[in-house]
Amino acid sequence: MIKTFLAAAAIVIAAPALANAVVGQPAPAFSATDSMGRTQSLAAYKGKPVILEWTNADCPFVKKFYSGGDMQKLQTEARKQGAVWLTINSGAPGKQGHLDPAAINAKMKAQGSAPTAYIADPTGEIGKAFGARTTPHLFVIDSAGTLVYAGAIDDQPTADPADIGKGRNYAMAALADVKAGKPVQVATSRAYGCSVKY
Amino acid sequence: MPKAPCLTVRTAYVLEHMLKHFLLALFALLTAPAFAASVSQQPNTRVELVSEVKAPAPGQRFSIGLVMTPKPGWHTYWKYPGDSGIETRATWANAPGMAVSPFRYPVPETYVISGIMNHVYGHENVLLAEVDVPQNASGALPLQVKLDWLVCDDQICVPESATLLLPLTTGDGRADPAQQARFADARAALPRTLTEPARFASEKGRIRIEIPLAGTEQIRAAHFFAIADDTLLFAAPQTITRTDSALIIEADAVPASSPQAVEGLLRIERADGVMGLEVRATLGAVAAGQPLAASAGAASVTSAFLTAFGLALLGGLVLNLMPCVFPILSLKALSLARSGHSEAAARKEGLAYTAGVVLVTTLLGAAAIMLARAGAGAGWAFQLQDPRVILLLMLLTLAIGLNFAGLFEMQLGGVSAGQALAAKPGAKGAFWTGTLAAFVATPCTGPFMAGALGAALVLPPVAGLAVFAGLGLGLALPFLAIGFVPALRRRLPKPGAWMVTFRRILVVPMLLTALALAWVLGRQAGAEGLTLGLLFALIVGLGLWWLGLRQHGSGRTLLPAAVAIVAALLAPAALARLPQSAAAEPQAGSGLASVAFSPEKLAALNAASTPTFLYFTADWCLTCKVNEKGALASDAVAQAFEKAGVTVMVGDWTRPDPAIARFLEQRGRAGIPLYLFYAADGTVEELPQILTVDQLTKLARPG
Repeated sequence: MIKTFLAAAAIVIAAPALANAVVGQPAPAFSATDSMGRTQSLAAYKGKPVILEWTNADCPFVKKFYSGGDMQKLQTEARKQGAVWLTINSGAPGKQGHLDPAAINAKMKAQGSAPTAYIADPTGEIGKAFGARTTPHLFVIDSAGTLVYAGAIDDQPTADPADIGKGRNYAMAALADVKAGKPVQVATSRAYGCSVKY
Repeated sequence: MPKAPCLTVRTAYVLEHMLKHFLLALFALLTAPAFAASVSQQPNTRVELVSEVKAPAPGQRFSIGLVMTPKPGWHTYWKYPGDSGIETRATWANAPGMAVSPFRYPVPETYVISGIMNHVYGHENVLLAEVDVPQNASGALPLQVKLDWLVCDDQICVPESATLLLPLTTGDGRADPAQQARFADARAALPRTLTEPARFASEKGRIRIEIPLAGTEQIRAAHFFAIADDTLLFAAPQTITRTDSALIIEADAVPASSPQAVEGLLRIERADGVMGLEVRATLGAVAAGQPLAASAGAASVTSAFLTAFGLALLGGLVLNLMPCVFPILSLKALSLARSGHSEAAARKEGLAYTAGVVLVTTLLGAAAIMLARAGAGAGWAFQLQDPRVILLLMLLTLAIGLNFAGLFEMQLGGVSAGQALAAKPGAKGAFWTGTLAAFVATPCTGPFMAGALGAALVLPPVAGLAVFAGLGLGLALPFLAIGFVPALRRRLPKPGAWMVTFRRILVVPMLLTALALAWVLGRQAGAEGLTLGLLFALIVGLGLWWLGLRQHGSGRTLLPAAVAIVAALLAPAALARLPQSAAAEPQAGSGLASVAFSPEKLAALNAASTPTFLYFTADWCLTCKVNEKGALASDAVAQAFEKAGVTVMVGDWTRPDPAIARFLEQRGRAGIPLYLFYAADGTVEELPQILTVDQLTKLARPG
């Protein structure tokens, strides 16, 4: 029993703490290779609002938004408004939802996903820098590079696609505020979904 | 024959009737939701809706429970799920007018994966809700609910849902005996509410919460489950410290947050189980704490054991110098040093003595552990709470003292005279001396060794027993050393005539021990008990005198013998009159005589218009303890209450108690302290949490 406890304690200690990107402060910088092999860095997108979407294709809460094409629509809509949409998968190899670049591209094709880029983050470095906890978990960064929204995609914490559009989409509302040059009304919310499989 | 057509017609009618009913039933079955039973087995969770009442009465408020059983390795979520996860949602479709409250959740557990905190239940858990039946209800009262919940293992999360139907009908509103245990357990698993104000302070990215609690030294571990996500980081390691009157939780704050209040659930693990307290802290100064008691630390059973064992060993060693043990040991040791003992015989005696000592301490320890596990609240030296044991020990020490004084000698098996009671030679003698020494040592052990032996009671039983054995080993160690090391024996003074004087001197500590025990007896059993005890002492003294006279070959043994016999014949009658235990005294810590809380008794008192002061307390409730040591302990209050014929009723909520929980629920009070005064005219007054003598005496004043 003591052994089990010590082992459990060791695991807890060994797990790197999640940082918390703070709304109102510069978003943590990162540079990574996307599924197409291109380098994606936050600094390169200064001047444009950026939306980060944490994903895991096997998570029911992610499926809620992809099965009916709703997330794809949001991606298209945001990009039309001049925003950059980066989908990030921080699933570790061997864990649920982890995909290698080839599998990511196949999945995107099959789903008709339309982000600016899809970044695999198998070490969880980007996810931990932002404090991404759930899939989906959304972050909105304004054109100055300041984090202006962190939290849930909307206020309907269910896995039921029927609930989409019932309430308020926080991420899109934040983007609209950014575009209008207004402070973001709801700047944080409790993200809901599956835990990120670091 | 003529009857046949008639029969046929009738049969056809019955068949048609049956068919109609069958079709109606089938229709009802088909139109009902697909899973409309009270139980549903989903791929990863079994959910069941249960009711405390089979047939609720109109106007009644009763409880229902949602029993959720995740598969092994899977978990469902608390209402405030932490970094990820979702609370269980319910959409009710009930008979008109039936109102169901939101679910109340049991105390959750933490489940951290990759730095993500989940507030979960990894086993069967029961969510409770209250249902209000409308006054005009009659007939069927079905409760139907669509449930959505999330169930996860360490890899994946699966949302599941089910529709459950509880087909209730109106009736007598009596509790279903079959569900009683389940609901009692479910209520016991609910958090209780701390009504005392908690404080928190945040500085330099840390939040510190001070939660007023009594008995913090018993807490082994704790976790604060924050509700909101703008207070402390869910997954941040929490540093738990304590003061005598509070538990202090410290953890990293959510960056850039400035909460005005911190709400959450404090989960406490104590030797007697896990409990939860709902806490709301507001901004204020927070004291500095000290680490949780080392002996209570769940993280270090091994180190707790080693510490306790070491202390017990040391304590046993020191016990040899105590007035109860030293005389026995020293005489025994000197007798061993006597010439004529072979090496082997000396070793054998040493081992036998050790065996005797360890056997007694381990047996007493085993009994103490068993009593403690049975919830009798006993500690080490529990046997000393019984005045009869004290009496026995007193008589024993008296007899040993008289033996040392030379009133009589022990003569067993024709061994030469001059041997002290504690100095019979041989392995057998050594063994019994060991048991005697250990038994006589117990009154000295109690206060002296409280720490280590208290720890032994909360350790795993085997480790606890080892601690008690360690005490015995420590006690036996000097004699064992003398038995095994000839050099030590040689260093002991050579026996001689001086030993008789030494023995007489040792009478003093022995009789002092007897005196101390007589004092304890007086405290426990009162003057009457003490007098009886001294009568016994007289009998023993006379008996031994008679024995001594016989041993010295004197003929004048008749008088003491006669006195002893008369006294001995009277003794059994006297013994029966000794009070069983000091525990019969009224509630400790309060000067008020009280009765234990029971709703039935309270109803009876109210019906009889007896003014009643009802209060609830718990070992962990700080304000309760303060009041019990303050206003409630005052003589003025006790006198005023007695004069006014006030019955005092106490509910002890230290351990979960369904009757108390239900009572508080009914009064709309989740927590304690709670002080109620039921006046003779039927009015009920709720008193403030801090009681004063004035307030209480005023209550008792007529009019």
